[in-house]
Amino acid sequence: MNVHAALRPKADAKTRIDPVTAAVIHGALENIAIEMGHKLMRMSYSSIIRESEDFGAALTDAEGRQLCECKMSTPLQSGPIPGYIRGILKIMAARGETVRPGDVIMHNDPYGGASHGPDVGFCVPVFLDGALIGFSVTTAHHLDIGALSPGSCGIVDAVDTYAEGLQFKAIKVVSEGRRNEAVWHMLRDNIRASDLVVGDMEAQVKAAEIGAGRYLALVQQYGLATVNAAYEDLMDYSERLMRDAIRALPDGDYTATTHFDGYLDDPDPARRELPITATIRVRGDSLVVDLTGTAPQVPDKPINMPLEGTVDCAVWLTIRSILLDSVTYGNIPQNSGLTRPIEIIAPKGTLTNPIFPAPVIARFCPGNALADTVMKALAQAVPTQVSAGIGNLRVIAFSGLNEGKHWVHMEILEGSYGGRHGLDGMDAVDTLYANTRNNPIEDIESHLPIRVDRYELRDNTAAPGQWRGGIGTVREFTCLADGGFSVEGDGHRFRPWGFDGGTDGHTASLTLVDKSGAQTPLVSKVPYHKVKAGDHLVSFGPCGGGYGDPLKRDPQAVLFDVLEGYICAEQAKTDYGVVISGKSLDAAATTAERARRA
Amino acid sequence: MQTIGVDVGGTFTDLVFCDLKTGQLAIHKVSTTPHDPSEGVLAGIRELCQQNRIDPGGIRYVFHGTTTATNSVLENKGAKAGLITNQGFRDIVHIGRHQRVEHYSIMQELPWQSRPLVQRRYRKTVGGRLAPPTGQELEPLDEAGVRRAAQELKAEGVESVAICFLFSYLNPAHELRAKAIVQAEMPDAFVTTSSFVSPQFREFERFTTASLAAFIGPKVERYIDHLDKALSDSGISGDLRIMASNGGVATPAMVSEKPTLTLLSGLAAGVLGGAWVGELVGRRRLITFDIGGTSADIGIIVDGKFAETDARSTSIAGFPLLMPMLDIHTIGAGGGSIAYVDRGGAFRVGPQSAGAVPGPAAYGRGGDQPTVTDANLVLGRLDANDFLGGSMALDAEASRRVIGGLAAQLGLPLNDAAEGVLTILNANMANAIRSRTVQKGIDPRGFALVAFGGAGPLHGAEVAAMLGIPEVIVPPHPGITSAVGLLTTDLKYDTIRTQFQVSDAVDVDRLNRDCLDMQAELARQFEADKIPAADVTWQRVGDLRYVGQGYELKIPLPGGTIDAAGLAGIWDAFHKAHAAEYGHAFEASPIEIVNVRVSGIGAMPKLTRPPAPAGGSLDAARLRTSACVFRVDGTLKSFETPVYQRAKLPVEERFEGPAIILQKDSTTVVPPRTTAMVDTSGSIIITLGDRS
Repeated sequence: MNVHAALRPKADAKTRIDPVTAAVIHGALENIAIEMGHKLMRMSYSSIIRESEDFGAALTDAEGRQLCECKMSTPLQSGPIPGYIRGILKIMAARGETVRPGDVIMHNDPYGGASHGPDVGFCVPVFLDGALIGFSVTTAHHLDIGALSPGSCGIVDAVDTYAEGLQFKAIKVVSEGRRNEAVWHMLRDNIRASDLVVGDMEAQVKAAEIGAGRYLALVQQYGLATVNAAYEDLMDYSERLMRDAIRALPDGDYTATTHFDGYLDDPDPARRELPITATIRVRGDSLVVDLTGTAPQVPDKPINMPLEGTVDCAVWLTIRSILLDSVTYGNIPQNSGLTRPIEIIAPKGTLTNPIFPAPVIARFCPGNALADTVMKALAQAVPTQVSAGIGNLRVIAFSGLNEGKHWVHMEILEGSYGGRHGLDGMDAVDTLYANTRNNPIEDIESHLPIRVDRYELRDNTAAPGQWRGGIGTVREFTCLADGGFSVEGDGHRFRPWGFDGGTDGHTASLTLVDKSGAQTPLVSKVPYHKVKAGDHLVSFGPCGGGYGDPLKRDPQAVLFDVLEGYICAEQAKTDYGVVISGKSLDAAATTAERARRA
Repeated sequence: MQTIGVDVGGTFTDLVFCDLKTGQLAIHKVSTTPHDPSEGVLAGIRELCQQNRIDPGGIRYVFHGTTTATNSVLENKGAKAGLITNQGFRDIVHIGRHQRVEHYSIMQELPWQSRPLVQRRYRKTVGGRLAPPTGQELEPLDEAGVRRAAQELKAEGVESVAICFLFSYLNPAHELRAKAIVQAEMPDAFVTTSSFVSPQFREFERFTTASLAAFIGPKVERYIDHLDKALSDSGISGDLRIMASNGGVATPAMVSEKPTLTLLSGLAAGVLGGAWVGELVGRRRLITFDIGGTSADIGIIVDGKFAETDARSTSIAGFPLLMPMLDIHTIGAGGGSIAYVDRGGAFRVGPQSAGAVPGPAAYGRGGDQPTVTDANLVLGRLDANDFLGGSMALDAEASRRVIGGLAAQLGLPLNDAAEGVLTILNANMANAIRSRTVQKGIDPRGFALVAFGGAGPLHGAEVAAMLGIPEVIVPPHPGITSAVGLLTTDLKYDTIRTQFQVSDAVDVDRLNRDCLDMQAELARQFEADKIPAADVTWQRVGDLRYVGQGYELKIPLPGGTIDAAGLAGIWDAFHKAHAAEYGHAFEASPIEIVNVRVSGIGAMPKLTRPPAPAGGSLDAARLRTSACVFRVDGTLKSFETPVYQRAKLPVEERFEGPAIILQKDSTTVVPPRTTAMVDTSGSIIITLGDRS
């Protein structure tokens, strides 16, 4: 039923159906994706999904073009979903397999469109009158995927993709309605904490099935042609917005390079510090992101980034967050149309386009560093729409045995944003392509042998700028039982970049303190490391860069920072030329001090 | 007995008087007085009594819905508040859940950082630490540190203090001790604790809820005190009862202690009013649909029971709020919602609203954006010369102009654009209802839609059609349904205790002991409020989940002593609820009781059934006919539509749509292919035919 079939807009011949039906169908699609995510989050067992919200949910058409995604999901999970479908279809075609009604297909192949091993997609095909019309897909980060050490983060010493854990390449876990029990047994037998992991997978399947049912009902209500036309229009719509935004940029080439932490304790200097270079070539209403100049792949360390599923998402997300900032533009549907005007060039054999079987499981931090590099390049074109350099995230995977059973806990440690034009940087928050949630301390301590001893902002470390950088956190843990941990992080070596006269931010650090009080500073990538009960970890999170000349910062804002305890009075004077006596501003002394330094 | 309900809204203060003996009902409306809402309340009561020859001295209860607390948060005008917490955790309320509000935005702000409820300089830390599972003490409370902190806060001129310690929901001892010390040092301050405000786990959310209490506490206390005194000074001797977000009322003393109770109470009264109207026509499965100028509020009532939200879904102005709440879904869709073509060429309606000022173009107050009200006027569904009982003339030409501009942008004929505005708005509202029904395993086709608020009766029938809902109920006075709802409440107090007990090893003695303790605690409260024990009924609910999950479902618990059979019944009910909510149950998985909640309900006198309206005839009610545009079978058609005066409609006589029914506080649209009838309770019931 096309309630408004008679209506064809005259003004804009590019749309396929009338704007009212389009709006109604778009709303319905969005509603389906939200329902899928809502149910997945509530049904799932492990905190990485239910608390950190590291999951995705989306519908695609039969070719894998994304129709809608769940707003609650994390961008790095929903973004790759089209790639999952393309990868699955390609693998199945090569095998001579076909997608059938009642199938549920599991996939996590980073060289076949998925993001990395721990992110597993479950895809439910949707059929109308025997014809494949689309897929309902959920993705989620799992606690463990059967890698060489417990947990699915901090596997920083995997030498190839085989060492990263189980690889699922278009596996039918349900085939025409029949569960493939052998696969489920293998999952249970090869994954640690399998009750949680398999429970989460079941929840993913159920949520994807709900989405498939709702999508079919929508198609039955409006007709396939109308729904197809509505989302073709929707993709054109997103594309049009992106093209308009790109057209507003001055044509030109904008290049930036940043470095991220390799293996800071590696004897080979070439593996300690790794450059990422991005050149953005703006021409008219499209742009090319050329990553030539980025370091070659590290063939035996898992910090390579799959081009599809990590690199593309990092690039797209950063560009849309800057050019189509949702605070200004509202909610623009994330779909394949949005990415049409953007071409990515990444030479084969580099970090951003590795060759199989180069390992990739720890690509999370490099990917966010890439996002930061893209922002730094774009900053030259739109300086008032970016932040100064961000502080990257770090993940600690804690694990142990309790009565012979594994427990695994992922602690995602936040970063912070750089200063922005007119706004200070956001403190203590996930940055760019990550947007997870921390775990409540009262949840952690109630369920795990870990105590959290401190969770605060760092003292006196805000990066100076006309708009200061965001402040990172201090978080301290005590292990209450013997076990282990591993770390997958960044930002111990390089300070987040200051912008337009702003000062660089501050690096992160991690220190292990044993019972005797002996301190061991740790690098940002630590393979599985045993701990004893009583061992203590101190994490300092990174602080984003400052934006603009600190001497131009409003003295009242500097006073505020001193009163709030973000910086001390000495810093006010040395960094900002602002003189504070007691709890008030000495305006005359400040003017004099600033004049002296101008 | 006589009672009065006073609901203070943004623009108007609505009043309803009821004589419970005679069933006499009187209503009144005055302008809200934002600088001191009690002025409007008193003026309204005085005028209502004068107009209806009511002796204010005979009023037994004044039921009051207030937005004082809500506005204080929304406008970021609260107390200079302080917070005392554990050493090492000064910034829990600043870091939050380390998640951004927006995925795709660089320039966003985080409310808890950009406008903190408690500034960092007033957040003090002290030694002392408790630990799970029982709240045992790891480190004693540094009492001298608490005293020092209180002295510093006092010297800074801090007016209120939230005391927030980790694991206080397991053991409030440190918080209570600290509270006593702070009160001794700061006798004039409002002092509260996180375990009192909301004793459940998740520190950011609990500390923020306590901070909200400290932020609004002094203001709410002053307002309630002031109003209470002003009422008795004006000779109104009745007791004041304040509407709370849990759907019950509370005493002034209770609200002064727990001001967060009132944060989202305005919406609750509307749902109660809708429920009462539904009950009058004998319907117990209801969707309440309250549409004003800027928002649509949707509530679900299943078999007379209100849905409650889970603790993790409630927030105000971007801050999480851990309070028992009726589950009310609000979306930005109302009469003032602006229709526009966005930068990408898509046709959108809302959530931006023209509000009351400048309002829709039709209001002639300078509004130049096309709104839902303008679309209704273009299509003939509103009458330019007979809007709100003729108290306000509408500018039909202005509406045609702004909708015409929209139509040109879209390349659509005028009526198609106007009807498109309504279709998109209605579809948004239908999606919102779906999210609370279909998505929770509830089939809306078995429900009646109660449409109220100024704009609910305009849209109710078409929204119902989208969802397959068979009937729409329009209350006698759609515009004052919230005030009516105030007269249907009971005194309701809640308490909660975290359990973390797993189904394969339940300490059932602890469970029973906690239930009894909680009941005793509330019983003392009712006693203090002079409610006889016999008038109090009890409800117990558990928040349950499969072990490992992070979200709970509410499962009713049996009264009395819970035994093995009782537990078995609880687990069974949980599996069933999980299957209904999510489409699947994990029968083999162990279940965790996360919290138990006890609610005490102290009966209050309520509105009685109003006498049946005198009734008239269709001929007497018919004012005129006018051209109205509706979509039938996919095409727009103009119908010569009768316009009726509601007060003169016959009772229990069915008539056919299309029809427009006018009254002072709303306009009801009866579309083609539906029928309508005034029920003996005075409500209009619209029955939807087969519209496929």
